[in-house]
Amino acid sequence: MLEILSPRLLADLFVNGLLFGAMYGVAAIGLSLIFGTMRIIFLAQGAMIVLAGYAAYWAFQLLGVDPYLTMVALIPLSLAVGAAIYQLLFRRAAALEDKNTSLLIAVGLMFMLESLMSLAWTPDPRSITTGYTATGFEVAGVRLSVTRTAGFAIAILATLGVTLFLRKTLVGKAVRAVSENMDAAALVGIAPHRVNMIAFAVGIALAGVAGCTLASTYAIDPYFGFLFSLKALIALALGGLGNVGGALAGGLALGVIESGASFFLPGWADAVAYLVFLLVLMFRPEGLFVRSVKKA
Amino acid sequence: MANRLLEVRDLNVSYGDAHVLWDVCLHVEEGAIVSLVGANGAGKSTLLKAISGLVRPQAGEIVFRGRSIRGAAPQEIVSIGISHVPEGRGLFTQMTVLENLELGAYPAGVRARMRESLEYAFGLFPRLRERSRQKAGSLSGGEQQMLAIGRAVMARPALLILDEPSLGLSPMVVKAMFELMRTLNGQGVTILLVEQNIHQALQVARHAFVLQTGRVVMQGPGRELLDDPMIRKAYVGSLAAAH
Repeated sequence: MLEILSPRLLADLFVNGLLFGAMYGVAAIGLSLIFGTMRIIFLAQGAMIVLAGYAAYWAFQLLGVDPYLTMVALIPLSLAVGAAIYQLLFRRAAALEDKNTSLLIAVGLMFMLESLMSLAWTPDPRSITTGYTATGFEVAGVRLSVTRTAGFAIAILATLGVTLFLRKTLVGKAVRAVSENMDAAALVGIAPHRVNMIAFAVGIALAGVAGCTLASTYAIDPYFGFLFSLKALIALALGGLGNVGGALAGGLALGVIESGASFFLPGWADAVAYLVFLLVLMFRPEGLFVRSVKKA
Repeated sequence: MANRLLEVRDLNVSYGDAHVLWDVCLHVEEGAIVSLVGANGAGKSTLLKAISGLVRPQAGEIVFRGRSIRGAAPQEIVSIGISHVPEGRGLFTQMTVLENLELGAYPAGVRARMRESLEYAFGLFPRLRERSRQKAGSLSGGEQQMLAIGRAVMARPALLILDEPSLGLSPMVVKAMFELMRTLNGQGVTILLVEQNIHQALQVARHAFVLQTGRVVMQGPGRELLDDPMIRKAYVGSLAAAH
C-alpha cells in the first residue's frame, strides 16, 4: 500500500483535484453573487450549468462548433437569459421580505429544467469528444489533460473578470454595496432590482462558462446539476460568503479533497465532501479563507 | 412664512401591531437647521425613515418642494434631493473610503459630477482624502461619521437628514460635527437633525420639534425650547446631570 503513495501520485491527485475544483469555484462565485444581492441560495445554478453544457453539446453535434468557440457566444447569451429569468420569475418575489418564495421559485426552475433537458437529450450521459479531448501533456511528471487545464485557465480568467467588474465599475461597486448593507445601498440611491438583475445575469453567465468547460471535459446528464449546486454550496461554505477569491479557493479546496477521497476511499468522495461541509459549518461558519469576521 | 422645503402632515406609521407615529406634523423651512428631539423610542428614527422611503407610512402626507413623496422608493427620494445619513452611519465597511464616496454619487442626476463632488467632500473633510484607500471599517468613529456625511453630500442634497451624528463620539469630535453642520448650512444645505445631545441640538436649530411616544408634543424656535422649563426638566437637566 505504501509504495503507491509516491510523490508523483500525490501530485497527480492534487493537480487533478485543483483542475476539477475550478469548476466548483466558478459555480460558487455565481452563487455568491446571487446570494449577496437577493439573499437566496440559487439552487438551480447547477441545472443552468448543465443546460449550458447541453447547448455546447448541441452546437458541437449539430453545427460542429468547437465548445470553446461556443463559449464566446454563450457568455452574452447567458447574461441575457439571466436578466430575463430575473425579470420574469424573480422580480416580484425578490421584493418580499420573506425569501422562501424566491427559494421555491429557484427549486421549481431546477426541476423544470431537469425535466425539459431529460426530454430534449434523454437521461443518458452526453459528452463532447473533440480531436483534443483525449490529449494531454506532462509537466514535472504530472500528466495534465488539455481540456481540464483549459477549464482551469478559464475559471481563473472568469474569477479575474468578476473581480475587476466588482472592483472597478460603479455598478460592480453597487453590487458589493447591496451585498453588505441593503438599506444603506437604497439610501445612496441604488435601485435593488437593477442590481439584483445584474448580479443574477453575471451569475448565470458564470454558469454558461462553467457548463461549456464542463461538457468539453466530462459527461453530463440532466440530473447532474443538483449535485453540482450542492458542491458549489460546499465551496462557498469553505470560502466564506461574499468573497469572490474565497469562493474560487473553496472550489479548489473541495476539488482536492474529493480527488484525494475518491482515491483513498473509493466511492466515498461525495460523503467526504458533505462531511467537510458539516464540519466547516460547525466549527468555522464564516469560512476557511476569511481572515477575520468583521461584519456588523 | 418662509418657503417650506419639507412638510409632513398627519403621518401615521406602525410596524405590525405597534403604532409608532401618531398624526405627526413637522415642517422644515428652506435653509434652516431643524432639530427633532425626544427620548429613545419616541419614533424619531422611524419618522426619518418614512421621509427617506425606508418605511412606508399607513396614513398622512410627506411633501418635498411641493410634491408628494409618500410611498416613493428610497432611490427616488435621494435622487430628488434628500440625503439621509442613518443611525449607525450605514457605511459599507468592507469597501474603501473612496468607494463609499463614489457610491454617494450613484444617482444618475449627479453621477456626471462625481469628480467635482469628490473634491467638495474632500474639501469638507481633508482627513478622508488621506484615508481614501483604507477600508471604511478601519476608520475611527469620528472619521466614519465624516465619511457618512461626506457620502451623503456627494448626492448634492437640498435636504440633509442626520440621525444621531454625534452618537458615541468624543466631546471634541461632537463639537467639530456641530461646526460642520453650520458650515454646510451656510453653504445652503437645509438640515433635519435628530440628536440625543439635546442642548446642542436646540442651540443650533432655527426650529425644533419634540417627539414623545410617537406624537409631536412641543415645537418652536430652538432657543425658546432650550429655555422652556418643561424641556429643561425632562431632557436638558437630566442629561446635564448624567454628564
